Amino acid sequence: MAVVIRADGLVKAHGTGPAARRVLDGARLHVREGELVAVVGSSGSGKSTLLHLLGALDAPDAGSISIGGERVDGRSQRELTELRRRRIGFVFQFFHLVPELTGAENVLLPTRLRGAPRGAAARGRELISRLGLEEAARRRPHQLSGGEQQRLAIARALVMDPPVLLADEPTGNLDGASGLIVLQLLRAAAQEGRSVLAVTHEAAVTAAADRVLELADGRLHAA
Amino acid sequence: MTAALRAAAGHLRAMRGRALTAALGIAAAAAMAGAATYVSYALATGFERSAEQSDLPDVVARFAEQPQRRIRALVGALPNVEAYTLRLEINRVRLWSGRDVTQKGAVQIVPPGRRGYAIVAGRDVRGARREAVIERGLASSWGLEPGDSLGVGRLGRMPIVGISVAPDNVAFPLASAPRVQLSQGYLRRVFGDAQPTTNQVLVWTRDPSRTDVTLQQARATAYGIGDLSFVTRAGVRVLVDQAAGIVIALLVTFSLVALLAAAVLLASQAAADVQRSLPAIGVRRAIGVPRLVVASQYAGSAGLLGAVAGGLGVGAGVLAVSAPAAGVLEALNERAPGSAALPPLLAAWLGIVLVAMLAAGWPAWRAAGRPPVELLRGGADLSGSAGRLSRLVPRGGGFFVLGMRLALARPRRALALLAVLSVCGGVLALMLGLSSLVLALRDDPGSVGKRYTLLARLPAGEAAAVRALPGVLDAAPRYVAQGADSFALGEPVKLVAFPGDHTRFESPALASGRRVRSDGEAEVGTGLAQALGVRVGAQLAVALPSGAEARFRVVGTVRAIDDDGRVAYVRPARLLAADPSISPLIAIRLERGADRAAVTRALRRLGAEPRAVSAATTRSTAFLGALATLLRAVGVIDAIVCLYALCQALGLTARERRATLALLRSAGASHGVIVGVLCGAALVLAVPAALLAVVLQRFVLAPLVAASAAGYTDLQPAASGAQAAALVSAFVALALLAAALVARRTLRGAVCAGLREA
Repeated sequence: MAVVIRADGLVKAHGTGPAARRVLDGARLHVREGELVAVVGSSGSGKSTLLHLLGALDAPDAGSISIGGERVDGRSQRELTELRRRRIGFVFQFFHLVPELTGAENVLLPTRLRGAPRGAAARGRELISRLGLEEAARRRPHQLSGGEQQRLAIARALVMDPPVLLADEPTGNLDGASGLIVLQLLRAAAQEGRSVLAVTHEAAVTAAADRVLELADGRLHAA
Repeated sequence: MTAALRAAAGHLRAMRGRALTAALGIAAAAAMAGAATYVSYALATGFERSAEQSDLPDVVARFAEQPQRRIRALVGALPNVEAYTLRLEINRVRLWSGRDVTQKGAVQIVPPGRRGYAIVAGRDVRGARREAVIERGLASSWGLEPGDSLGVGRLGRMPIVGISVAPDNVAFPLASAPRVQLSQGYLRRVFGDAQPTTNQVLVWTRDPSRTDVTLQQARATAYGIGDLSFVTRAGVRVLVDQAAGIVIALLVTFSLVALLAAAVLLASQAAADVQRSLPAIGVRRAIGVPRLVVASQYAGSAGLLGAVAGGLGVGAGVLAVSAPAAGVLEALNERAPGSAALPPLLAAWLGIVLVAMLAAGWPAWRAAGRPPVELLRGGADLSGSAGRLSRLVPRGGGFFVLGMRLALARPRRALALLAVLSVCGGVLALMLGLSSLVLALRDDPGSVGKRYTLLARLPAGEAAAVRALPGVLDAAPRYVAQGADSFALGEPVKLVAFPGDHTRFESPALASGRRVRSDGEAEVGTGLAQALGVRVGAQLAVALPSGAEARFRVVGTVRAIDDDGRVAYVRPARLLAADPSISPLIAIRLERGADRAAVTRALRRLGAEPRAVSAATTRSTAFLGALATLLRAVGVIDAIVCLYALCQALGLTARERRATLALLRSAGASHGVIVGVLCGAALVLAVPAALLAVVLQRFVLAPLVAASAAGYTDLQPAASGAQAAALVSAFVALALLAAALVARRTLRGAVCAGLREA
């Protein structure tokens, strides 16, 4: 299986002067196609920072990142924007559904972007159906349970058919049953050939992962 | 007190970015209030201030030249006279300086004693020296100052030693005749002292409220003195001060609007600030900080900010309008208020500080009253924020429509912004309407109902010959007489007479009643009708300069703008019967596309030197130009406030919805998409606000201003279709600019920052 997410020697510091702290200090990570990898670590260990760097939302101070063979570091904002649109889907702990839009509108939101692949909207509707979200799709987020909201968020992350799915505490805000459904969806996404990386505190996520890495002292170790 | 100030300063330091935004808002609101206060005060008090400084007499009597001895005897016998000065005014004197020249100079020969004018630069004329004082309008127009010289008729070039101001008339060139003062001693030295004469007397009364009694006595005893006319200080005030009445009315309206807009702006800003600080307030309440202390800290911070930003804003507003206001005051021969404007400006500043404190303290007080647990849960709960307003936006649509929904998700803020923008836009539209009206008054004779374009001094009998000229559509003799109302002495009345239907030549809109049909009837301007309290059916009795009286029955009132609406249209028969010496000018209407130069040449061949007719007055260009500049300056401040209000509301939306914007960016939305979202959020309020502003201007503000100005004239300052379109376009441009500015700031922030929050 090909390596889709490749990060080497990642360094990232927060703060300046005496308050500066290296949250990532030479971190290295390879995730293959179809693999679900969980990253664990204590609060403030840099898990979310790692995810943001891999998702081209932030730039490392040093090191290199490539997604699907495309280098992320050293590229312009415009190029990074396009890379995110084509290659990366995000799932967040707080769902980040737009409250003014219905579930379906939230799922289809990325398909309205210029450069969205043809058939993305049809794929979105199919995802809604496949995930059993027809009823939720007609409602607005505040009328839905946390589990329904996160499933809609996963459908939104998959609607552009990205090869990489990055999840930040995907079950952190859900009850056990809802969390289990979300994990099944992430597992299914990996089985479809996607590289899925989830940062988590939850044991259920690590149990469902192919590999578990622990982030400590700015580096990733097998847990 | 020191501790409270320290706490307030610390609070401001802790939220530096927001404090700067708030300061900008306060400064913008204060600039509006400062500009409005300064101009209102300067114009409202201009006449009295200048009259006091100039020692303006209570009555100025003008008459045909008489021996001083005779006038002294008459005036000395009048009741209620405290002092008087006899003056000789020589009119139509050639004045020149460099390339500037006029044949209409008014040279006033002033004796020692009270002068009735103020010296604003240099000094007054002294003894029998060969020197001149010139009026400020002449000095400004021709670029003269003390030390320069001025050619004065046969006296040749004379050194200028001072610049004078007398508010008994508007300034040159608004007044056609520039005034020059020479000392009586010098004239006597040059021409001898055989039989001193006078044609003007300045009278200061003991009791100004009883000036009427003095005037009645003067009229009764002045038999045989030709061309006698009186101008009272009160009459001058009515004439000159009411010329600024429209601006004052406008600016008082504007001040109220400014304060309202400031209050709404500051309140919405402070409410949003408190909303963001709910967890912090919750912590303080949880550890036992009293509710009053929490509220007073917010109020104190806002007061501190208001004091600094409000002071700067008031100063900036005054700076923006002081030059055009000085131009208007100069044209009215009035003086800038100087330090006298400080108390009202201080009051405006205090008002702003108080509004800022209340706007911040009240929501903090209310928030601090909520249970600490609820406050600790924190910020704005947007989960159910898609309120009724956002449901007005149709489903679907692109990111532009999403932006519209985001803006409407906060209905109260959206309505507050809509109100501020509508009111400010209404004022802006009013400024546009008025400034266009003012310029039309300056440039377009049609705007004051004049349908003729040329005037020629020819005998009335020549009208038929003029009508026969190629290119001439119509021609008729136009008689004009300047009189005074017989019942209210000092109220000037201008009689305009055309044989037959005057609307062929001058057709001010009929406000009530009907047009003149016979010799004994009159249509009076609304300004005159208001001043004299006459209505349709009343008698108009006019004392003519000859001493004779002409009476007419008022059959209609007209919206005449010329001569401040103090005009009456009549037929010539009674006018000529009362004063046969009145000679007409021939008013000439040209055919469409006629060659004006050819008609002018033909008129010259008939022996006349025709002159072109402008609008309200050909001499008022500078005044009207300054007025238009002033209106536009206020309009610009207003537009800046609109831009600020948009930026502030949009900034709040962007901040509140940073998670949504970050989500879009994380999904690969380009900068253009974010700009599109913010454009939608701005335009969904700016466009309806612009339309509401047009409605507000047309149906509320314009009639309000027209009603305020009805004391002297009838104006219709409603914005035209083109101006309404310009206003909507301006609001669209402001919204796009605000969206671009806020998008720039939003896109500078890291994407992940917005994703970290719930």
